[in-house]
Amino acid sequence: MKNQLRLLRTERGWSQAALAERLGVSRQSVNAIETGKYDPSLPLAFAIARLFELKIEEIFEDESGEEALAAE
Amino acid sequence: MSQRYGFKEARKRYNRIAGPLMAVYAVLCLGGSALWAFLDVDVKFTSAILALAICAPVIAVLIAKLRYFEETDEYTRLRQLRAFALAGAVTVSAVFIVGFLQLFDVVGQVPVFLFGPLFFLVYGLATCTGRWFGKTV
Repeated sequence: MKNQLRLLRTERGWSQAALAERLGVSRQSVNAIETGKYDPSLPLAFAIARLFELKIEEIFEDESGEEALAAE
Repeated sequence: MSQRYGFKEARKRYNRIAGPLMAVYAVLCLGGSALWAFLDVDVKFTSAILALAICAPVIAVLIAKLRYFEETDEYTRLRQLRAFALAGAVTVSAVFIVGFLQLFDVVGQVPVFLFGPLFFLVYGLATCTGRWFGKTV
């Protein structure tokens, strides 16, 4: 799943540690989400969306869903 | 499983318990061994109490570890539980292998104590190296 987390974070001038602090997670969690190694759960995705005042789908992009639609 | 505490708070709660417990374990190990040397070995009950008392802090740390898994953030929990499961699988496999090798007189007596450090060694290595194996979920 692609996401805009790194872009949104750097736009605000936050470090990974600062974002992690705001979300109550580890810096490694933020890094793993940004690099696509880990897809967050729905509660964490909602928390991220709330923090950036955006909708979840504006931050996270469902690649497999798009591939399925393209195949149809 | 939802997150009960922030990552930092969960880690702080774990460290507050684990640090002193390991110190108690070290003291009990040294003090208990010295005390045992003076005990009459025929007093099985006293020896058993002493042995269990030394084990108690280690068991308590493991319980604190499980509580930490519940309280920390989801990514840390996943990584830690994976490492814990891998360490458990390797240790139990080693117990079975060594156990049967002993049973069939292939190897001599292997100290049971070695399996504890083996578990924590694999757990530690797996925690560090888990991130190298691509996508987590």
